Amino acid sequence: MKTLIYVILISVLTAGPATAETVRVVTRSNAARAECRFSSPVRAKLRFGDRLNIVARKGDWYLVTSGAVKGCVHKSAVESRSFSVSGTGRGRGGAASADEVSLAGKGFNPQVEERYRSGNQGLNYTLVDEIERLTAAETELDEFILQGGLNQP
Amino acid sequence: MRRLLICMLLALTPLSGCKLEDLSTEQIGRIADSVQTIGKAARPMSDSEEYYVGRAVAARLLATYPLYRNKALTQYVTLVGQTLALHSEVPATHGGYHFALLDSSEINAFACPGGTILITRGMLASLKSEEELAAVLAHEISHVIHRDGIAAIRSARWSEALTIIGSQAAQELGSKETARLVTVFEGSIDDVVKTLVVNGYGREQELAADRTALAILAAAGYDPQGLPGYLQRLEQSGRGAKGGIFSTHPGSDERLASVRSEMPPSSASSAARRSKRFAEAVRTLAR
Repeated sequence: MKTLIYVILISVLTAGPATAETVRVVTRSNAARAECRFSSPVRAKLRFGDRLNIVARKGDWYLVTSGAVKGCVHKSAVESRSFSVSGTGRGRGGAASADEVSLAGKGFNPQVEERYRSGNQGLNYTLVDEIERLTAAETELDEFILQGGLNQP
Repeated sequence: MRRLLICMLLALTPLSGCKLEDLSTEQIGRIADSVQTIGKAARPMSDSEEYYVGRAVAARLLATYPLYRNKALTQYVTLVGQTLALHSEVPATHGGYHFALLDSSEINAFACPGGTILITRGMLASLKSEEELAAVLAHEISHVIHRDGIAAIRSARWSEALTIIGSQAAQELGSKETARLVTVFEGSIDDVVKTLVVNGYGREQELAADRTALAILAAAGYDPQGLPGYLQRLEQSGRGAKGGIFSTHPGSDERLASVRSEMPPSSASSAARRSKRFAEAVRTLAR
């Protein structure tokens, strides 16, 4: 009986992603690329929560499949940056599990933001949205890096 | 259930007095569920939650500092910032990195949790080259990577948030719980803003951000000397700011010494080309 309880405890406490070779996208949007570098063409766009199957790991990149698409995603797109609030460490980091993705839905989320906004009318979320739309196109970024003699990521 | 769990945990110690053999399979299953719930309740803040904190912090800052609308200059700063972010250890955050300018003559920059970085017009005017701009942005990106803003939130607030989140098994919280969570959220934003605007980060956080900034600069192909060069020049001119890159603690002497001792090898070239485009970009800056 004691052994059985040990087994249950260990299994529930160490439960990670749905399978060891599956990860979920933790960023709002991202891309699977033909090669494992940022300047490589995009094969498929990825969205928050998408489940990807890991085929191989190449440094800071994962070679993954999603449906019929095979491509590379940077680890920061699929590994949650776990960190204890007011903690002293940087946290473990690790592949985001389905639990993490679903539990985050019950924490600080759009509903909380909406209630916070309605109670703080002086805040300028319109400008925040405007800033989040400011971005650089990949072609423009490539040209900027090249023109400035900088290193390709 | 709680007593049962305690009984079970005690059973795993040599002091066990519980008769575990009496437990049914159903009871063991319920214990396992409880243990799993406890494990989840201790979870850290997720990337998406950090993103919503960052949005609220930015909204608070933008209620004080107006946005400086200069499309070409904002795009230039964005290109420098995005280049640096791609060379960092965290090139992708939940909402991505965004860069914007604040219409203030104050010399300051703010890293909102999640990746929005705000830099004042005054700070831009104090920079002499793209290397220096990159140094400032790399320092702020480092605060995002290290989650220094989130670390400013009092741990008791997050504990309370987790208690609320874990209080209901349903997928969504009820109205009452959401209202409590909003209060915790509001307090968390206060903590971060106070650190960003008033107190500044701690000594170790600033030194660590400098170290990471140097690595990012070198990886991107910028001359890391831009960081100590800018710090020294501003120190000599007696100008500075309350928070951001000019936090008063540690003192600039200590920061300069630390940065110089950590200086990575640099293979930077084409600085003249970057200086030229920097000069063109800031030409339209209102002084």
